[in-house]
Amino acid sequence: MRQRSLIAITAALAAGALTLTACGSRDSGDKGSDSGGTTVVIGVDAPLTGDLSALGLGIKNSVDLAAKTANKKNYVDGVKFEIKALDDQAQPSSGQQNASTLVADKDVLGVVGPLNSSVAESMQKVFDDAKLVQISPANTGPALTQGANWQTKKERQYKSYFRTATTDAIQGPFAAQYVFNDAKKKKVFVIDDKKTYGAGLASTFTAEFKKIGGQVVGTDHIDPDTKDFSAVATKVKNSGADVVYYGGEYPQAGPLSKQIKASGAKIPVVGGDGIYDPTFIKLAGANSAGDLATSVGAPVETLASAKQFVADYKAGGYKEEYAAYGGYSYDAAWAIIEGVKKAVEDNDGKLPDDARAKVTAAVQNVSFDGVTGKVSFDEFGDATNKQLTVYAVENGAWKAVKSGTFTG
Amino acid sequence: MNAIGPVEPGEGTAVPRPAGRRPGTGRDRRPTALRRRPLAAALTAALLLAAGVCLYATRPDVPSPAPPTPPAPSQLPFPAQVVDVTFVGPHAPPPGAAPQFFAFELLLSVDAGPEVTVTRVSQPYAGMSVATAPRTPFRTRAGAARTIVITLHVTECETVPENDGLPFLDVTLRNTRAIQEQSFILGPRYAHALSRALQVACSNDSG
Repeated sequence: MRQRSLIAITAALAAGALTLTACGSRDSGDKGSDSGGTTVVIGVDAPLTGDLSALGLGIKNSVDLAAKTANKKNYVDGVKFEIKALDDQAQPSSGQQNASTLVADKDVLGVVGPLNSSVAESMQKVFDDAKLVQISPANTGPALTQGANWQTKKERQYKSYFRTATTDAIQGPFAAQYVFNDAKKKKVFVIDDKKTYGAGLASTFTAEFKKIGGQVVGTDHIDPDTKDFSAVATKVKNSGADVVYYGGEYPQAGPLSKQIKASGAKIPVVGGDGIYDPTFIKLAGANSAGDLATSVGAPVETLASAKQFVADYKAGGYKEEYAAYGGYSYDAAWAIIEGVKKAVEDNDGKLPDDARAKVTAAVQNVSFDGVTGKVSFDEFGDATNKQLTVYAVENGAWKAVKSGTFTG
Repeated sequence: MNAIGPVEPGEGTAVPRPAGRRPGTGRDRRPTALRRRPLAAALTAALLLAAGVCLYATRPDVPSPAPPTPPAPSQLPFPAQVVDVTFVGPHAPPPGAAPQFFAFELLLSVDAGPEVTVTRVSQPYAGMSVATAPRTPFRTRAGAARTIVITLHVTECETVPENDGLPFLDVTLRNTRAIQEQSFILGPRYAHALSRALQVACSNDSG
């Protein structure tokens, strides 16, 4: 009997100890990135050096923040996320080379980028052939998703291509409406940089401006490799225009605005998201007050969902600003993370052999509350959340003056 | 961490044991359960104790329930982020109405947050005016959607474009967080409907 009792007590203690050991191994879920298991790489392609690096580094850092956040939350059980950022220098040829490099890395299951629509054109087929999902936070050229004839017949181009940014099909006309109806400017001089983004945006602006009764008093193109725009500035002054619309990016738009004012034409320069950066104001100088830019999304300060992102970005210690596309980059990365999560959960907790194809398919159906609002994609791969804001230069900074939502 | 134990039969679903058979057969047919009762009891007690300690030690760090407090205004959504306005279709004008008056139905919905009041609806052209039914201001609570009829009146055809590609309405929204004016771009169906109505209104006007 005594022996039996001893056995009973010993067994009981052992069982209790085992139970406590098992219970002690429960993960609190906030241990950080040490989730072990599989490593999934999210590729990033953006201009990390050169004139547009302010935007590109904001994209890279925001994707990094999304990956770290997912790891910290152990958001996909058994998967640790890393990023692999490549510099395209805003050049299509570099972008295509980077696309091939990312495709060759089997750990890459999704790519965020690029910034420029012209770079995206060179990458789309490379990614699509590899069934590797690509989500741009910044491309606004409508043809990327809806085909060259998007104005008459929309046609999905690549199943692997998505974007979180609104397209120029809305951005250009929205700017035209603001310039004509709110700013009361009726005579425009239109300039572009002949690139996919700039020429496309100028085209959609011009079409709408004419439809609503505005007059185009002159057009010209600039060479983005120079900074001397005095000839076109003189043409603007002599045209009698009361506003300039520029399709292009801030490295050229800033000096262009400065030189137009210096020529004696004290009229506002208006552009798209490509000029919406503090660097534009620095380059354009004090006379840029009153210049306008449209940009994708609602002002960050009106988005409750963006507050956490802004705080986390600051806490992350990144040297560069998240800039115009930070929130959209975070959401693009998170869409990929959601796609990976779905692929893993549908395959008994492991990455499937055809993980790239499965992640691409899952991204088509994601729906979550992101930094910029509800994130999901339509049948063309475009963001369903289509908001835009007009910003004006006031006291040396961009200030939101009007926001719009496309609900068609 | 998410291990699921064997599924236990629910009440009344246990399969009856075949008659005449008992657990434990052969030489040692004395009920083993009876023989091992002290051991089993001690094991059970220890496991229960350990499980209790385990649950206590790993309990979520939940503070004692506090009385619910309304969210601070800074935590409430801006009205433009929770309101959606979509185009439904043309609305039949009252019999005998002049062609310079035409109407459309819109659907306004509020996704979340506090009640939203629409204080003003306008459109950008000087030669046209807009009235709403219900008349502004009107309120809509979160989770609700309501049909609005906008009636447009063309007073001066020369200042109204007949082929606007991206027409919109400016809607002033107010909730306890903020007052915002938001442009709702109602899309190509609205653009076509508006264009058709303007062509009718202004062809009659010129004649």
